[in-house]
Amino acid sequence: MEMTLKELRDSFSRVGYICDEEVVLTVYLAIKLNKPILIEGPPGVGKTEMGKVLAEIFQTELIRLQCYEGLDENKALYEWNYQRQLLKIQISKETGMQADLEGDLFSPEYLLMRPLLKAISSEKRQVLLIDEVDKCDEEFEAFLFEVLSDFTVSVPELGTLKAKEIPIVILTSNNERELSDGLKRRCVFLYLDYPELQREIAIIRARIPGIEEKLTAQVARAVKALRESPDIKKKPSIAETLDWTRALLAMNADRLDPKVVSQTVNLLLKSKADLDAFRRHLGPGTLSEMAASS
Amino acid sequence: MKEAHCDRSVPRENTLEANILRFILLLRQAGVRVSSSEALDAVKALTLVDLSQPSQARAALRGTLVKKAADLALFDRVFAMFFAPEEERLQRLGAWQEQKGLHRQKMQEAGRDLEFLGKQLSMTEQEMTVYANMPEQEKDRLKNYMDKTAGGKNVEEPFRPLLESVVKGSLSYWRKQLKEDLDLTPPPDTGDEELDSILAQAEGTGTGGRRGVSLLQEDMQNIPERDLPRARIILGKLAQQLINSISRRYRQSRRHQKLDLRRTIRENLQYGGTPFRLKYKSRRQQKPRLLLLCDVSGSMARYSSFVLQFIYSINTVVSHIESFVFAEHLEIITPHFARRQEFDATMVEIINKSRQWGGGTSVAAALQELQEKYEVVLKGNTVVIIVSDTKTTNLERALEELGRLRRRVKDVIWLNTLAEGERESLRTARLIGEEVRMFPCNTLADLEDIVRKKVLS
Repeated sequence: MEMTLKELRDSFSRVGYICDEEVVLTVYLAIKLNKPILIEGPPGVGKTEMGKVLAEIFQTELIRLQCYEGLDENKALYEWNYQRQLLKIQISKETGMQADLEGDLFSPEYLLMRPLLKAISSEKRQVLLIDEVDKCDEEFEAFLFEVLSDFTVSVPELGTLKAKEIPIVILTSNNERELSDGLKRRCVFLYLDYPELQREIAIIRARIPGIEEKLTAQVARAVKALRESPDIKKKPSIAETLDWTRALLAMNADRLDPKVVSQTVNLLLKSKADLDAFRRHLGPGTLSEMAASS
Repeated sequence: MKEAHCDRSVPRENTLEANILRFILLLRQAGVRVSSSEALDAVKALTLVDLSQPSQARAALRGTLVKKAADLALFDRVFAMFFAPEEERLQRLGAWQEQKGLHRQKMQEAGRDLEFLGKQLSMTEQEMTVYANMPEQEKDRLKNYMDKTAGGKNVEEPFRPLLESVVKGSLSYWRKQLKEDLDLTPPPDTGDEELDSILAQAEGTGTGGRRGVSLLQEDMQNIPERDLPRARIILGKLAQQLINSISRRYRQSRRHQKLDLRRTIRENLQYGGTPFRLKYKSRRQQKPRLLLLCDVSGSMARYSSFVLQFIYSINTVVSHIESFVFAEHLEIITPHFARRQEFDATMVEIINKSRQWGGGTSVAAALQELQEKYEVVLKGNTVVIIVSDTKTTNLERALEELGRLRRRVKDVIWLNTLAEGERESLRTARLIGEEVRMFPCNTLADLEDIVRKKVLS
């Protein structure tokens, strides 16, 4: 499905993904250039969400490959369905049908496709999300950038498979370690940061329809203040902001006051060190004051 | 960085490609790594956007040329200057030419002043810059001294080396004195004056202006107070990445594993002996056990702020790391981290309880104590990280203990906080470096290097 920049921009707002013009443009360019998009940024700014949103926009399935230490090609690319092959051998032994058993056993029927192969062999253009690529090992990263540069995969028993439609690939990284230059070179780079105040307000409104303007603004300002505080290590993410807002709504709060903040702040700050730091340096009173002042 | 392959033959025509090439050259000179394939991508991307809108052109170049979050701010600055309105560019160029002229003049004067018997003394460019920036009074004193020497009886050419070393000694003293406000990096010289003017401004360097050394390249003990919070954040991140790279557990892929026959047969009895479910001997590698030893003696005092941040950051990522501080003796500090307090609170507690801060250093005693009292943590999978400037008493015994420790554990890694020049010249550093793997750790850039090159994994 070909899309113009304007159509992509409209689609983003249609599915409720609110972002800067630059983000839309970078995604647009990556799609046009047939290059993977490498998204970096702090946790909880919508990196993974981008994959889901693109799948929705392009009306295709989201193929997801979650990276972790020890992930290998078998888990990412393909495996032979050993059990099924074995059954086939047993059956043919009993029925006496031996003709070209070997060719049969290594046919696509017995192939268990893992995310990468699935994305490549699909007839339709797919969205492939390779999540937290910084968590995988370097060997796997090297293998990955080989696949991502020419979108071909070789399965020894079947030969080389070339992508019919080059998938839209999203790689996300939390920068737990520096990715190799080779992989970066093949990608278009996008850095997602926490949203600006106005954008955060827009996001809350889009995700929680019917919320009051005053509360929205106060929530956004409070979250911004927490993110800017140097004492808080794990900054509240957008998802946490939304959870917090929903909790406030459930408590029928129409504005932030010290009591409400103190009851619900653990939805935003999730470690003891951060909660201690919050109580010592900021406190529910100051935070609600900061949120109230425009 | 400056001497990086600068292609002086970049065409100066006013086409899109030529401008992009110039811009890429500028980025490279500013320290952003841009490969040719990325340059091609950038040109392709520009054909897809509406060039009449600067924001679109910017996004296209940003996404294709910059692949490191830390470089984005630099890119934005350079982009704004390179694609600024004509008037602003001319103004900057003018200012730059004037500044450069002034610098040249100063250097020429310095050259004339530093003469002996009608011939210039052999001085490096840095030394000349130091001279040019010395207070006038001091310049006069040095000049007087040289004049007197030259005017003495029977003074001939063989005196030159002697005089040179005296002058160099004085300049090296002044270099240290002027440290804060002296810029010793040579002004950018790409052969394209406009690019030079942008580079000078983007990096905050200029001829004789504020030093352009970034926080990363600065000796950690010299980082000014106001930059500390930022430096601490960077250090914290690097420490975490470092630990991640060491403690990563690699599991071997299934292909290299061995079939566990006993378990396979037992598992498959239920299928009538057909090997339906294969069982492998899993050889999961254990995560290495980390042990951190930090020198907090007097000579390390000025690094202590960073050493503390380093210990703290590491302890917040990995909970099973044993941490020690040492000077004359060894002290375990792991329990202080168990309560998961904030940085300041934890550190105050450690400093108050510890008796090691600012003492003399005895690596030997510390290592001996470690091996005697804490034997239980020294296993075959232990990696010991020592942060120290190697200045220790009783070097011979320290080396002996270090050797003994090395044989007991998986690896001993020494992060050396000595500055570049000292590192090579100090005997202790040299000898310890022969005994264990040693990496320079004087600046944040050094630490970044250790993390990036993955020397530890």
